[in-house]
Amino acid sequence: MRTNCQRYADKAVRAPYRSWAKKRAVLPCSPMKNAFIIALREYSDNAKTKGFWIGLTFIPLLLFGSIQVPLWIEKKAAPIRHFVFVDQSGKFEQTVAARLDRAHDRRVREALNEYTVRYSKPNTVKHALTKIDLERIPAPNRRVDDFVGGLTGPEAERPAEDPGSREAQLLQLKPYLRENAPPFIEPKRIFHRVPLPKEITPDWDMPSLARELKPYLRGDKRITVDGQKVRLHAAILIPADVDQKIVRGASASGAPGLDAPKGIEYWSGNLADPQLRDEIERAVNGEVRRREALDRGLDVGAMRNVLQTHVPVVDLNPQKEAGQETVSLADRIRQWSPVAFVYLLWLAIFSIVQMLLNNTIEEKSNRLIEVLLSSVTPGELMMGKLMGISAIGLTLVGAWLLAMVGVLAWKSSPESELASQAFMVIRTSNLLPAFLIYFLLGYLLYAGIFLSIGSVCNSLKEAQSYMSVITMMMMAPLLTMMFIPRDPNGALATILSWIPIYTPFIMMNRAMADPPLFDLIGTLVLMLVSAGWVLWLAGKIFRIGILRTGQPPKLLEMLSWLRSDSTPRNGS
Amino acid sequence: MQNREHDRTVLELSHVTKLFGAFQAVNDLCFRVPRGSIYGFLGPNGAGKTTTIRMILDIIKPSSGEITVLGKRSALEVRQRLGYLPEEKGLYKKMKAWAIISYFAMLKGMSRRDSRKRACELLERYGLGAFAETKAEALSKGMGQKVQMLAAVAHDPEFVILDEPFSGLDPVNQQVMETLIRDMADRGQTVIFSTHVMQHAERLCDRILLIAKGRKIFDGTLPEARRAIPRRVRIETEDDIGQLRELPEVLAIFPNDGLARGGVSAPPCSHWEFQLRENADPQIILQACFTKGIRLRSFNQAEPSLHEVFVHLVGSDAAPPSNTMPNQRVCNQ
Repeated sequence: MRTNCQRYADKAVRAPYRSWAKKRAVLPCSPMKNAFIIALREYSDNAKTKGFWIGLTFIPLLLFGSIQVPLWIEKKAAPIRHFVFVDQSGKFEQTVAARLDRAHDRRVREALNEYTVRYSKPNTVKHALTKIDLERIPAPNRRVDDFVGGLTGPEAERPAEDPGSREAQLLQLKPYLRENAPPFIEPKRIFHRVPLPKEITPDWDMPSLARELKPYLRGDKRITVDGQKVRLHAAILIPADVDQKIVRGASASGAPGLDAPKGIEYWSGNLADPQLRDEIERAVNGEVRRREALDRGLDVGAMRNVLQTHVPVVDLNPQKEAGQETVSLADRIRQWSPVAFVYLLWLAIFSIVQMLLNNTIEEKSNRLIEVLLSSVTPGELMMGKLMGISAIGLTLVGAWLLAMVGVLAWKSSPESELASQAFMVIRTSNLLPAFLIYFLLGYLLYAGIFLSIGSVCNSLKEAQSYMSVITMMMMAPLLTMMFIPRDPNGALATILSWIPIYTPFIMMNRAMADPPLFDLIGTLVLMLVSAGWVLWLAGKIFRIGILRTGQPPKLLEMLSWLRSDSTPRNGS
Repeated sequence: MQNREHDRTVLELSHVTKLFGAFQAVNDLCFRVPRGSIYGFLGPNGAGKTTTIRMILDIIKPSSGEITVLGKRSALEVRQRLGYLPEEKGLYKKMKAWAIISYFAMLKGMSRRDSRKRACELLERYGLGAFAETKAEALSKGMGQKVQMLAAVAHDPEFVILDEPFSGLDPVNQQVMETLIRDMADRGQTVIFSTHVMQHAERLCDRILLIAKGRKIFDGTLPEARRAIPRRVRIETEDDIGQLRELPEVLAIFPNDGLARGGVSAPPCSHWEFQLRENADPQIILQACFTKGIRLRSFNQAEPSLHEVFVHLVGSDAAPPSNTMPNQRVCNQ
């Protein structure tokens, strides 16, 4: 394929040399036009760097990942776990089996609930939900649940639903579903009990059982299930004398440690996943308590009722209107989301002012600056750079914000409460406009500082010594970022807000806490004034420093430039 | 009358001095560059060539004196009509060759479209067509330098200032560069270039300016430059040349056979070089040889090379420069 250039060149060979100078005479060259040409070059040069694209995609990917990965893990990543269960006492087999059935049943119903919400026709969700018997899904009140600890006998249990009734439910649901709804797929059962390997007999003593099962649990040996070799996830061993190992109220406070009686042995190579252990512990202890109660002649039903009795404690926020004091997940997001924005602001500002510094130093170190200054004034050059890099920055944060809103809007569904609440917070707050304003102001202020540094240094190495000071000062907003939401209108936050180099970060940090109007407007005005002042100073330093070669100047020397009115008589 | 004078002069420096602290980089420099000429700016390293060029471009200000470029007091006012190639060569590493040329042409006022066309034309014309789409970081040093040169002149400026355009180029590319400079002169553009390699200046320049330690040593045409140092005559003979020493035109006689010798009397030297007084006719030596019966194997009226002029003048720059300044009147106006 022929490039544009080759086509132009072909014409050139045919056409005689033309004088462009005559044609140019009619094209006036305004300062803004030059600045614009420079800005365009800065933009396209930086937009082509890998760093820019990495920065551009990394943040949205991170956000997407933090919402999507937990969902995936919950849905797909839970593999089937095989376990062996040896109950030499013979008392708990049924209880444990029933408990695991119920756990599975709950997952199926939750999945069905999700399925219904996602695929029902609009406005029929409520009706559809009644068809799948939503109220039978137990409320996940874990505290009470744990406390009762499954104080329930087989007779008190609702039997696990049989597949037949599930089919009937789906049939009833059908009219409410959209036409293109895929069929409901039941989640797989996570925990599968498998028989002991043939060479092991369940009536061996505990140490032998454990010894023989270890190779399977370590993965050295595989267990055969339906012709497939699988790894053993866990082994639960209940000794015959388990009754003697029951810890009763009085001795519960006895010293734990080495002497603590070993009751049920839960062996597993994967202790990070406590789900099976918890289910079994609850099932067995529930059964133990039930028997204990029966032995003592207590009314099990009454006891269960007693144990489920509690007073709920609600978190309330005094800043809310009456009736809306409840502290919800949205409130937590509201309190902490500015932290994320402060971090983004920091990343955005410092990655692009770094570009400004690099480009200025590149032009200086290879003396391109001389050619530029034989074509444009230092003012036009500086203006062009400021505009070009700010456009890069706006592209960057624009992409981040769009991606953020996009991902949250896409992911906000009952599945991900985090996403939907965060989306709601962003929609109903002024976080986004505040972010843009503080980004632009912060950029201008820091751009002035970095342009000055760039203009007086001939290499990045020389710039390092200035940079180390600036970097240290820049760390303050990151260090205080986590403290300020705890006391957003406190002394630390207020004082830092009034220091212009920190204003954008700290005010962003306080954005959701309704800072006093005086702070809000005062700091904004101060910030505007100081950004303008810094840029004006930077202009002076830039004009003089940009042509300087040799050692970077001392601070005192730079101060003397600020007093001089124009280009120096001395210093090349 | 004044206008016509301006039309004929693109650059004029009068009594320009530049101090860096106590160091005098340029000292009372005066010269002017006529329109359409190729003007060589010669001098040893550290002579003040680059400083002078930067002052001409108004990148730095002179400590005293006046510079007039294209009739204006500051080059910035006419910067679209100027082209400049700096001494240290550098390009934007990530930009393609054509884009660099087009960018600098646009900064000089060309439209985007024209500048692109022009960049491609120039690259093709000077043998870089295949590298138009290559990023600068992938170009060789010589190619990069050519690209930068093309970027400096893409907008077809009236007046081009090149600082050491030949440094770092191989002989083939030096030739291309010479062609480029000649092309520009043929189109009526004025070119100043600085160099410390005399051969380029000798081949290209209409006029040269020689400076050393910030002072003007010589300013004029090439023939004037050659006349500025004593004429020399080379002869080859087996006979004794002692008698020729008496001639009033002869300043000095050196053995010239390439061997290190103690003096004239050490035989058997057969090649001699005579230094003659200014304006002396070399024929006098020939005549003297004839009358004194010295048999010549060869006689050569050597034109001094610019290199010899350079070494001669710069080597003796302690002497008052006015002796060798035929063009001084420019300053005295």
